[in-house]
Amino acid sequence: MGNASNVAAALFTVAIAAAQPVSYQREVAPLLASRCSACHQPGNAAAGFVATTPLSVARVANSGLLLATVTGEKPRMPKAGQPLTPAEVAVLTGWVAQGAQDDSGGKQELWWSLRPLPKLEPATLDSFIQKKLRAANLTASPAADPRTLVRRVYIDLHGLPPTPEQTAAFLADPRPDAYEHLVDQLLASPRYGERWARHWLDIVHYGDSHGYDKDKPRPNAWPYRDAVIRALNDDMPYARFVRAQVAGDVLYPDDPHAFALTGFLAAGPWDFVGHQELREGTTDKNLTRLLDRDDMVATTMSTFVSMTAHCARCHNHKFDPIPQTDYYNLQAVFAGIDRADRPYDEDPAISRQRRQLLAEKLAVQRRLQPLLDRVEFARNPALVTLDDRIQDAGSLLAHLGTPKTPADVEEKKRLEARRSADRAQRQTIVDSIVGPETYPAIEKGKQELAAIDAQLAALPTPKLVYSGAAYFPRAGNFRPSLTPRPVNVLDRGSLASPGPLARPGALHCLPALSAEFPATEEEGDRRAALANWLADPNNVLTWRSIANRVWQYHFGAGLVDSPSDFGKMGNQPSHPELLDWLTVWFRDEAKGSLKQLHRLLVTSATYRQSSAHRPAAALQDGDNRLLWRMNRTRLDAESVRDSTLLAAGKLDLTVGGPSVRQFGFKDDHSPIYDYAAFDPDAPGGQRRSIYRFLVRSAPDPFMERLDCPDPSVLTPKRTTTLTAIQALAMWNNRFMVRMAEHLADRAKGDPHQLSQWVLGRPLRPDERAYAVQHGLANLARVLLNTNEFLFVD
Amino acid sequence: MQRRNFLSSFGGLALAQMLGQEREGLHHKPRAKRIIQIFLSGAASQCDTFDYKPRLIEKAGQPWDPGEKVELFQSNPGVVMPSPWAWKQYGQSGKWVSDLFPAMAQCVDDMAFVHSLQSKSNIHGPATFMQNTGFILPGFPSAGSWVSYALGTLNENLPKFVVLPDRRGVPPNGPGNWSAGFLPAAHQATTVRVGTPHPIYDLDAPTDAKYITKSSERDGLALLDQVNRSHLQTHAGDSRLEARIASYQMAAKLQLSAPDVLGIAGESPATRKLYGLDDPITAEMAERCLVARRLVERGVRFVQIWSGADNGFPRRNWDSHENLAKDHGEMGTAMDKPVAGLLRDLKSRGLLEDTIVQWTTEFGRMPCSQGSLGRDHNPAGFTTWLAGGGFQGGVSYGATDEWSYKAIEKPVYCYDIHATMLHLLGIDHQRLTYRNNGIDRRLTDVHGTLISELIA
Repeated sequence: MGNASNVAAALFTVAIAAAQPVSYQREVAPLLASRCSACHQPGNAAAGFVATTPLSVARVANSGLLLATVTGEKPRMPKAGQPLTPAEVAVLTGWVAQGAQDDSGGKQELWWSLRPLPKLEPATLDSFIQKKLRAANLTASPAADPRTLVRRVYIDLHGLPPTPEQTAAFLADPRPDAYEHLVDQLLASPRYGERWARHWLDIVHYGDSHGYDKDKPRPNAWPYRDAVIRALNDDMPYARFVRAQVAGDVLYPDDPHAFALTGFLAAGPWDFVGHQELREGTTDKNLTRLLDRDDMVATTMSTFVSMTAHCARCHNHKFDPIPQTDYYNLQAVFAGIDRADRPYDEDPAISRQRRQLLAEKLAVQRRLQPLLDRVEFARNPALVTLDDRIQDAGSLLAHLGTPKTPADVEEKKRLEARRSADRAQRQTIVDSIVGPETYPAIEKGKQELAAIDAQLAALPTPKLVYSGAAYFPRAGNFRPSLTPRPVNVLDRGSLASPGPLARPGALHCLPALSAEFPATEEEGDRRAALANWLADPNNVLTWRSIANRVWQYHFGAGLVDSPSDFGKMGNQPSHPELLDWLTVWFRDEAKGSLKQLHRLLVTSATYRQSSAHRPAAALQDGDNRLLWRMNRTRLDAESVRDSTLLAAGKLDLTVGGPSVRQFGFKDDHSPIYDYAAFDPDAPGGQRRSIYRFLVRSAPDPFMERLDCPDPSVLTPKRTTTLTAIQALAMWNNRFMVRMAEHLADRAKGDPHQLSQWVLGRPLRPDERAYAVQHGLANLARVLLNTNEFLFVD
Repeated sequence: MQRRNFLSSFGGLALAQMLGQEREGLHHKPRAKRIIQIFLSGAASQCDTFDYKPRLIEKAGQPWDPGEKVELFQSNPGVVMPSPWAWKQYGQSGKWVSDLFPAMAQCVDDMAFVHSLQSKSNIHGPATFMQNTGFILPGFPSAGSWVSYALGTLNENLPKFVVLPDRRGVPPNGPGNWSAGFLPAAHQATTVRVGTPHPIYDLDAPTDAKYITKSSERDGLALLDQVNRSHLQTHAGDSRLEARIASYQMAAKLQLSAPDVLGIAGESPATRKLYGLDDPITAEMAERCLVARRLVERGVRFVQIWSGADNGFPRRNWDSHENLAKDHGEMGTAMDKPVAGLLRDLKSRGLLEDTIVQWTTEFGRMPCSQGSLGRDHNPAGFTTWLAGGGFQGGVSYGATDEWSYKAIEKPVYCYDIHATMLHLLGIDHQRLTYRNNGIDRRLTDVHGTLISELIA
């Protein structure tokens, strides 16, 4: 540190020492936690110093070591990152100078998101907002006019604007609580679940294909999407919604909707080649599985508790109290599952029968598998040679394709004959290795399986959902684990440096909850334990997380503006008391009813404010963190598309079912997804956007240009961009151009009607003149491109 | 201006523009302004192109024993397999190049070779992601998106990041390879399908929409501008509304400039010949290389040219498991002259000075045979070369073992290559970050060391 900063630090010190006492709890502890605790934490205390334990801190403070290591020309600490700032050094210096007193009462100050929640005090949402505004000498904006409000709340709750008739009906409703009635009506509509499920699918990175190389379709992903829509429309209590997604198959096995919600586990991408083609026992195979579980851990913890546990894969979390062992314990929770289709039934009686039969089948398979492995992995030098030849023949045949010349025909014959002979010889050698007793034992197991399969086949055809599965039919080298695979704590995250075995568990940073799960080899019990940990009323992270997410989607920004990161690298809440009040209200008063939470938020005066700009207020709070007005938002990609369809009179409100493929599709080594080849009037082309088939490797360019996120990215909050390429998409995309034509047809020569449908306002004279000259389709195209259409006041 | 509005409306704006440091590099004075990357999809062999190992010729056909257990993607190691092509030395540097690339061989004194590149995966999907994004997972921004984010535009009328896929199709991972990941959509690549009737998606209205005419288009955009401006008057103080009005003006400019940049009709016969446009075998790659030059010439920051599609049959990329002589032969012949032509053309126009050209792939191939005629994947050592933009010509950095199997001398990963490329663009790779899901993400993850030996 340079002299100038030393002087600055000294000045600070003087100021602090003279002016006010430095608090360990409020100033020193957070500083040490953010700058030192990555290396100096319990269980992993570099140099024996624990930066989060007052006693340990006092010891290094009194010995002079604390200040000595963080000051000087080249401070020795922190090892990683920038040296402490002069202000930070001043805090420490002041505190040491004042005697290094611990004012925490022996308790460590918990990070805001980990603190226990308060008791529910009688209050209103608006009172918290008002209080902060008053303190900043600001005032709330007047209420938005009814026309603005009705469009706002329709788009917010349905992702669709009101029709002119719906607007008129609301404006004509004489009841003083007409707005409250409207909100209830909107929440009761199936359109609500379709809109809000889309937010959830962003958070969990849902897609309809695997991603990676050979991005294959995932034909049974959609039941999860439908289950989320249904859970929202049915107002499933949030605790059950959480539990069902992590372990619905275990906790509510005969509830088909809860079962389908386990699609959450498999929502993310999956490496087809790594799982299905790589051979068992290779390093890359193990890496594929490690990363697959990593996705499950990252998705689960980001989604439900807004913690970045995945940052602890290679080392202890650098900022939050999450040791590496916690991370691998979470991996152990998912160590028994892969991503595969799972059968489930509508009828609980059938469901019970199937469950029983599948359990028996698993038991048989567990006995049978070691015998099958004995055959599959039989090895001797002769076999290695033969296997090479057999594989060589296979690849040469593939390369040859369909023979075109007589020579190729001959070559194909020759290779096929050679391969058959080699296979026969291989069998003889394998037989001699595995011994005669193996085959009868295998045969017996197979017969048992066949008997169970016959009983399964007699049951009605089940539904399928792509989910987490411990047992599924083998495909290539993709085989079920049957029992959980061992998970080691990996030094630096490397498979080459396995440490001790991890045991299933959760995060230790929530003092009110036990992070240790009962030891069990039944993978379902591991997930059930995690589900219960997540949904526990005392899991303050879970409840804070959802309250904040719902707030964010209504207001355009969260009370915490890093919705999936409530750790130290995330943002702090703008209104901590409000967030806590809302959280407790939602958990205890509303009993986890999301619909009640929506109602509370959208009927508040804060929500009903005008979004108009006020220069004086903007000067003071340009971010509008204090909510002196409502935020203006741009329609998201799905709302643009759905609103366009609605205006054109073409919106197809069919609910649920397999995802709609709005592209030309050609299956191949890597399937081809061709969006230019799709006719917007083709069947399914006019369904709501949430029912689109989401290809990970090839997103719809139109939607992508409107900031629809990459379905491989966990997206707790979308970015909004305004680019030339987006303008081109709005102006030229075949879908937009065609819908403009449909709008014109629908208007039957009446441009006034057309303007009402798109913008809900009368036609302007210049618009009318343009329509006269260029026709209604061209007028529709212009109106669909206006800022009025794209933005919500 | 309100900060929230500023951030959300200009989330698309490049970091450099937000910081007011346009064009002079983000962190220091740049040597290069743009990049052309040629990506050989399917894994191009190092030991059949630029990594000369006489040992393979000496031991041809003998059992291959590198002294340790070797774990391959598909097969067990076969016998030592020399390249089907002969080797010669070229240039002042005396670089050995195989006869697969006789034209590129003439340019070796402009190329900086890295022979010790390694990959963290031996599977195409993850490894191709890694070379593009620094991660073996989907969902991360590609190098082109990072450069767009860092440096912004040199020409407002053209996109910043352009991808030219092979006409036979897209590589493994598809357009995911050039995803903007979590970066704002403004840094998405623009895919240009050179030589097709509609090379840029949605650049113009569909031709079958008969109601759209030249005058309805012109008057329509004027009306839109008018309506939006009236709206702006009653909605003051929101810069996003103005930005959106401006976006239509920029779109119109893009519409005008795109046909000009993609049209190669005006190129001289000599230039066409230089790239190999006159030969049906090289014409396809030649056209894309020529368009790449026209794009960077007009200020596009990052152009990615793909050689090869996915790994299917019949073979349409470099993934030569079965018959390397045939498949590498066809791929190589199609690209040799066009790439050499591109280098020469850039050089003669003075563009090579501040344009980086990279030739790269996702991993290499084994020195032993797979089956009788093919080679399996080799992530342990492979070759990339870089030219122009401050790279030192005629240098060979790092080395594989005697077999061209493992990088043993100065082994590097793409992190180090990316760090070096970013450095020449005026960017400190450790300071080019974007917060996503709790982590300040970088193109170079938590790695990356500048390779100063490669810099002139």
